[in-house]
Parts: sequence; C-alpha cells; structure tokens
Amino acid sequence: MLSTILLFREALYGALVIAIACSVLGVYVVLRRIVFVGAALAQLSSAGIALALFLGGMGVVSGLAGHPTAFALAFALAGAMFFGLGGGQRAGVPPDATIGVGYAVAAAAGILLISKAKSGEAHDIFLSGNILGITREDTLVLLAITIPVLVAHALFYKEFLFVSFDRETARTLGYRVTFWNLLLYFTLGLVIAFAMQFAGVMLVFNFLVLPAVTGLLLARSMSGIFTVSVISAVVAAVVGFSLSVPFDLPSGPAIIAVSGALALLAWPVRVMQRRG
Amino acid sequence: MTSLITFDHATLGYGRRVVLSDISFDIPAGDFLGLVGPNGAGKTTILRAILGTLVPQQGTVTKALGLRFGYVPQRDSVDYGFPLKVLDVVLMGRYDRIGLFRRPSKSDRDLAHAALDHVGIGNLADQQLSALSGGQKQRALIARALVGEPNVLVLDEPTNGMDLVSTTQILGLVRELHERDNLTVLMVSHALNEVANYVDRIALVVERGFRIGTVADIMTEETLTTMYGIPVDVDEMHGHRIVVARRSQPERLEARDA
Repeated sequence: MLSTILLFREALYGALVIAIACSVLGVYVVLRRIVFVGAALAQLSSAGIALALFLGGMGVVSGLAGHPTAFALAFALAGAMFFGLGGGQRAGVPPDATIGVGYAVAAAAGILLISKAKSGEAHDIFLSGNILGITREDTLVLLAITIPVLVAHALFYKEFLFVSFDRETARTLGYRVTFWNLLLYFTLGLVIAFAMQFAGVMLVFNFLVLPAVTGLLLARSMSGIFTVSVISAVVAAVVGFSLSVPFDLPSGPAIIAVSGALALLAWPVRVMQRRG
Repeated sequence: MTSLITFDHATLGYGRRVVLSDISFDIPAGDFLGLVGPNGAGKTTILRAILGTLVPQQGTVTKALGLRFGYVPQRDSVDYGFPLKVLDVVLMGRYDRIGLFRRPSKSDRDLAHAALDHVGIGNLADQQLSALSGGQKQRALIARALVGEPNVLVLDEPTNGMDLVSTTQILGLVRELHERDNLTVLMVSHALNEVANYVDRIALVVERGFRIGTVADIMTEETLTTMYGIPVDVDEMHGHRIVVARRSQPERLEARDA
C-alpha cells in the first residue's frame, strides 16, 4: 500500500498545496458566508477552460487548447471582481442570487462548450479534476501561486479581518474597504483558478468549506480556526488520498468523504464544549 | 467655542437622489448632539457626511484639522460569527494607528485593557464577543471607539433593541464619558424620549425637514407638532421630558378607512 502511495507522491504534494491554500482562504469564505462564491468562481474557471478548448478546436485562437490557464484565470478573476464589488446589488438583485446565476450559467456554458470542442473528451478531465495527474511541475506552479497569496494573507491579516468583521467602522477609520475586499476576492479567484484545474470544482469547493467549518466547530479564536482548518484539510488530503489509491477509489470524493467525517466528528465536540 | 464640524448649505444624497438639501449647522467642541428622527429620514446620510464617507452634492462639510472620530456602529452591524475575544475587537480601534504589516504591541493591548476598564467591562477582556449581553457588546464597541483616542465619539443607534435597564445604563455611560472626558459626542437615534434627557442639543431630521437647537428649543409641542406632522404633548416628570403623540380620534380613523 505504501509503495503504491509513494508512486503517486507528486500528486499528493500537489493536493496538499491546494488543501493548505484553500483551507486558509476558506476561513474567510465561511465566516463571511460567501461559500457559494467559491463554487461559482471554480465553475467560472472551468467555463474559461472550456471556452479555451472550444476556441482552440475551432482554430479561432490557435494554441489556446494547450494553455487554458489564461482563460481560467481571466474568468475567475473577472468573477472575483464582480462578486467583490457586490455583484448585482446595485441593480437590486440579492448577492446570493447573483452568485447562483453565475454558478448555473458558468456550469451550463462549460458543459455546452466542452460538448462542442474538438478535443472535448480528452480534456473533460479539466472540469472534473485529476488529482492523480499532478506532476512535480504542476506542484511548483501551484506553490508559485499559493505562497505569495498566503504571505499576503499573513501580512494583511488585520485589514482582511477588519473589513470582513465590521466594514462600516473600518471605513470610518480610513480603510479603503472596497480595495481590501477586492484584494481578498482576487486572492480567492487566483487560488481557485489554478487549484480547480487539478482538483476540479467539487474538491476545491470542499477544501474551501469543510475544513473551515471543522475549524469553526472546534476553535474559539481566529488563529485556532486557521490552525484546525489547515490541519483538517491536510489530514483529509493524506487519508483520503492514501485510501483512494490502494482501494481504487476516485481521489477527490475520497478526500471529501474524510473532510465530511472530520466535520461530523467535530460537531459533538462542539456540543459538549457548549454544555461544559 | 471652536467648531469641529461645519455644514455650510450642504445638500446630501445618493446619485441623483437628494435626501436633505441646503442644511447649515456647526458642531462645536464639547457638544453633546443627538441626531434624532425616524428611519429613512436622513440621519445616516448626515452621519456619513460627518464621517467623510459621503461627499455633499452641493455646499460643503468642513472638519477641523486633526479631527478623529471614534465610531460605534449599530450593534447588529458587526458579524458575531467571527470567534473574536472582546480584547481583539477593542484592538481594532487602533489598527489604523498600528499601520500596515505590524501587529498590536503591548502598549496597544494596555490601552485596550484601559478602555475596557473605562467603560466598566475590564473583566470581560478574554470573553468571546458573541457571548456578551446586548449592553456588554455595546460597551465593548464603545471601548473600541475610545481606544483610538478620538476627539468626537459617534454612536449610531446605541440603544436599539435594548431593554429599559440596558438603555439607561448605556445612555448614562455616554453622558458620563461626555462630562468626565469632555468628549464631544454625536448620538444618532430614532428614540426622541431617550435622547432628549441626555444630550445638550438635538438635530431633528424628519421628512418635513431639518431643525437643530438646544433641547429646550426643540422639545416644545409647537416645534415637534410642526416637524412630525401629528399633534404631540410634551410633559415633564421628575425633571425628565416626555413626548407623547396624541391618540388618533376614532372618527378620524373611520374617515381615513372610508
């Protein structure tokens, strides 16, 4: 079993990078109640990949089929900016409805474009993710994206926390709330766009939500939530991955199952904490 | 007395919509002003203009150099889902002084503890904010505003949703801060009866317009009847002013229904 896991160790390293980055950003996603922004951005990224494949297949933009990352990034960042600015709030549409529209339209567009892309079947894996396919180069790319994002989050922790917790007061103290919100969404879009290509929409959504929920259930401070979130994401990635390889299970769902189990285990602990 | 904030023929609104037009008044140092009126009449609009988050469409709103606000938002506008200790929340009042890339120092923490002591909840520093009662939460938010060492304390509906005891305690605390620290205070509220017995001046913001004056000037039956558009009685009991809207006559209600 160990030798089989070692065979896929590069994939595990990549999964861990995605798990750590998403579980840190996920704390804001969960606490700010924008979990479906994560799903919508992941879906927008996949629509971007689908469009790149479609255009590449049509010969409209040559070479894009081999480099869909640019489209994934453009779509995710455009979505992040849109949601970060409040979505369609000014037009009177509730923010969660706008996120729902973005998710549904992006999902449908991705499927439609892939179905008509010449290389669609071969690249369908981009949409569902392929953790086992992660190479050392992919992991290095993921590190190049996620390390600056995590450093930015460490440096600007005060600012992200303040505008998330009480934007009105932050504004009166001179904080450029829109800027900090956009920066937060930008980092979210950046990580999702890259993570989604390897982990797929479902697994990225899992890493953004479940570890942070486990953290919220077990910890009573911000540093505690971040710590538990990262640890539970790493445990889920390692255990889920390790079980999936020898038992020939799909890795993404196996990791999500472990994440779900950790959150379920945290639940009674929280209840006991409250009673105690 | 030095004017800290001056509205000079200011017209305020959002986009093309005008909320209040051509208003002029001063807030001098040491003032305790209640900004009173029903929801939607423009209190928050004036507040935003004072805080600098809304630029007047016409006229000017000028502020004294070095003016620093200590803002206490509506209690429910902060997100209690965040697992923050009371001390962590109070420290936020110093974030802009601490600056980018730096964490709160021991001196910041000492100031935060002192601010909590000042508002009477020094013993709750390590409690979760979400676990506090409404009155305690309000005190924590006031401590956060004070820790930034402001010239003007601004409170937005500080007693909204509070019971009689908490309301009296919070308004008493704010009055005490005004007198003890000689702090200029601006308090926004829709509850005229509550505010009138604690502030020095009242700015009445209603659909029929804007009027500012001392409590004695504003709290008259004539002024309030004109401004609110319904007959009111103003009475005094044990030194407290009480405003009561006269009950509508049954025949008038019937006439309206018909």
